[in-house]
Formats: sequence, structure tokens, C-alpha cells
Amino acid sequence: MNSRALTTDLLLGAIPIALLIGVWQAINSFGYAPATLLPPPGLVFSRLFHQLFDPTFQFQIATTLFRLFTGFAIAVVLGVSLGIAAATHPAINALVRPVVRVLAPLPKVALYPAFLLLLGFDHESKITLVVADALFPILLSTYYGASTVEQKLIWSAMAAGTPPRQILFKVVLPASIPSILTGCRIGLVISCIVVFLAEMITSTNGLGFVLVTAARTFQTVDMFVPLITISLLGLILNGLLQAGRSYLLRGFPEA
Amino acid sequence: MKPTGIWRVAPLLACLGLLVVWQAAALALRNDSFPTALDAIRAIPSILGDKESLINIMASLRRMVIGFALAVAISVPLGLMMGRSRAVAAFFNPLLMVIYPVPKAALMPIIMLWLGVGDVSKTLVIFLGVSLPVIYHSFEGARAVEEKMIWSGAAMGLSTVQRMFRIILPAALPEILTGCRTGLVLALITMVTSEMIARQSGAGNILFNALDMGQYDTVFAMIIIVGAMGICLDTAFERIRARLVRWSEPSFNMPLSFS
Repeated sequence: MNSRALTTDLLLGAIPIALLIGVWQAINSFGYAPATLLPPPGLVFSRLFHQLFDPTFQFQIATTLFRLFTGFAIAVVLGVSLGIAAATHPAINALVRPVVRVLAPLPKVALYPAFLLLLGFDHESKITLVVADALFPILLSTYYGASTVEQKLIWSAMAAGTPPRQILFKVVLPASIPSILTGCRIGLVISCIVVFLAEMITSTNGLGFVLVTAARTFQTVDMFVPLITISLLGLILNGLLQAGRSYLLRGFPEA
Repeated sequence: MKPTGIWRVAPLLACLGLLVVWQAAALALRNDSFPTALDAIRAIPSILGDKESLINIMASLRRMVIGFALAVAISVPLGLMMGRSRAVAAFFNPLLMVIYPVPKAALMPIIMLWLGVGDVSKTLVIFLGVSLPVIYHSFEGARAVEEKMIWSGAAMGLSTVQRMFRIILPAALPEILTGCRTGLVLALITMVTSEMIARQSGAGNILFNALDMGQYDTVFAMIIIVGAMGICLDTAFERIRARLVRWSEPSFNMPLSFS
């Protein structure tokens, strides 16, 4: 893609976002909605800018990020190792597949009350919920990626004298990385969503808590601020993951 | 993938196994707020027998089905168009990327201010939650359609619309259905959370009210009911999917052999 086409694409993509903000401003300016129900965009963004430098708000962001990263990291480690193990080991496969089949479509938010009762109201229950939700997309795509590794590659490695244990790390894992990263991307978005929801349901800190407090006290401006913040966080994390992906996949034909 | 004897009952065995683990854990922990699996199962008939809870659960399902159907009806054409036209994709992609990480159920408090606590807000939230994965997967599916097939279609005189329906839609169908399956799970999640935030009716309402009132049997019984809903819907969807796209089944049923 040349740079000119890229610029056109960026301009095209900016249109709907600009349009959305324009309509938002218009609704306010022409008085279709009172500012208590829909605050004007200028007010929301200046409030957001102001909040970003506020230590209390920064602390809320840090809390949310801590839960998000811990949960996501555990989910990646568990998901990748279980997925690879299930794809390479018939016995583990027989055990993991039916359990995953049952647990994957279960709406994990419904389990949140159980986590609350068992693990308490602090970080643990929220992190567990993030793990429970982010685990399955990662596990399933790892499994898919590892089971579609070409058998010929493995045979060649064996013929070249690679011991079985090393085949796992030198052939199967690298070959399934594209698929694993796709799973991680879905898992990351889900982690963002879930950590926010968990904080909305019961929490004393974090971005979700900020939203709920604002909703209870009818501060519409403050309701938009955490939503925009989580959207920005999602964008940044997604960008980082993309950068990591293009670094990890630099040798692959289509990245 | 053909489910033979053992694979057919394996999920059932897994269910039983999980319940046994739960029972054992509950007996070992002896915690007041963690009832045993048997206690929770015993509480199910009283919930399903109660007319009001049944109406609540049916209302949840109705909202979910409407939201899901609307989302699929709108997102699939949009995703396909994005996949086939660079301009359309460039137009919508950044907007969708901004919306994707926002938890849709978190919009509930704001939407409630505008549309009230009724069915409309909850259905809208479910609609938003389902549409994004469906758009994304339709987009990916349409983008991966082989150019040669479209050229052949064009050479045989199919118009753009006909090509869309007779070549691109079937070719992208496996990917679209994957998106719909993710959407189905998300619809359930959004359903439960939206009802938890707007405590007015529905399965989520029963669940979190029971939690607030300390009726732990009911909490865990509702978890089983909602979970069973998820598993049943997913199994039904999987059946339909398998019938529609039997031709594209990947043959990766065999575990790799090298050990």
C-alpha cells in the first residue's frame, strides 16, 4: 500500500467519527437534548483531558490496567499451554475437549456472583473473571493453530534428528503463532470489556466504578469520561499487540 | 468431524465431571455462601416452577433473540460490503475500532437515560454487542474470497448484486457463522449484564437480586440455568452450522503425532 492510498484511507475513516461528533454537537446546539441527558462533546473532552492529569483518576486507570494485564497474562499462559497440550497429546485432548465444549459457551458473567462469594470483592474475583472470559478464545485458536501444523514439517524435523521435546518449541509453537496472536487479540478486547463490567457490578475502584458512581449521582459528563478512556485504552493495547504481531511474524509470508 | 459414540456423550460426561468437582469442593470448603451442587440443583425446580421467574426468563430470551436477529441482519451485509470494497472498509474500520473495546453493557446507564429501563434499551445494547464480531468476521470472510471465482462469475454475466448473493455470501459463510457463534455468546453476556444494571426484569435480575438477598441456593441455581441456556443455544447453533457448511469442515480431528 503506498502512502497516498493510506492517506485517503485515513481521511475516509475520519469522516464517520467526525460525523458522529458533529451530530452530537448539533443535537446539543439545536437544543434537541438537554445537557443533563447528553452533554456537549466539548465539555466531555475537556473533562476527560482534565481527569487524565488527576491523580485519583490515574489511580483508577492503574487499578483497571493491573486487573486487565494480570488476567490477560494468566489467560495467555494457560490458554497457550493447554491448547498446545491438547493438540499434541491424545489423552489430554480427550480430557480437555469435552470440558472446553461445555465451558466455552457458558456466559462467564453469570459465574461472577460465584467468584464474588468464593474469592471476595477485591482483585481476585475480577482477575478470575477476566481469565475465565479471555481464556477460551486463546485456547481455541491455539488448539486450531497447533492442530493445523503441517505434519510434513514435523516429519522433516524428526528426520533431521530433532528430539520430540524440542519439536514442540522449534516447530509446533512457532508455526501456530499467527493463530495464537489472533486469539490473543480477541482475548484482549474481551478482557477490556469484562474488567470494566466486573468493576461496574461491584467494586470500590477502577474505571467501571467511576462510571457507576457517575450514573448514581446523575453526572452525565462523568459517565462519558470512563467510557472514552476504556475505548482509548483498548485502541492503544490493540496497537501494541499489532506492533508485537508484526515483529513476531516478520518471517511469515502474510502477516 | 463426525461425532462417533464416545464423542457424542463426552460433553455430557464433562458436565457430570464438573458437577462432581463442584460437589467435592463445596463439601471440602464447608462455606455458607457456597452451596453444594446438589443443593443448587434442588433449587432449580422452584425457580422454573414459579410463574413470575419463568416470565422473566422468557422475556430475557425474547430480547436476546430479537437483538441477535437484528444484529445479524444488518451486520452481515455491512461486513460483506466492507470486505469487497476498499472504500467502504476504510470508511467504517476506524469507527468500529473505536467502538470495539467499549463494553456495550456499560452503555446501559447512558442509554437508560434516553430510552428508559424497558425492552428497547436492553435490546439495543444486545444488538450493539452482537454486531461487532459479526461485522468483523463477515469482513474477514468476504475479503478472503478467491478473486478468480468472482471474475468467473462476472465473466458469466452475473451482476454485482447477484455475485454478492451467489458467490461471496456462500464462500464467506463459514467465517460469518464463526462470527455469529461468538455473537451468540456475547448476546448472552450482554443480556445478563444489562439486566443486572437495569434491575427490572429478566434472568440477570433474578440472579443478582438473589445475590443481594443472600439466597445462595438461588444464585447458584440461576448460574446453572443461564449456563444451560448458553450450552443449549450453542449446541443448536453448532448443529445448524454443521449442516450449512459441511463442505468446508477442516479435517484436524487427529492429534499431531510426534511423541
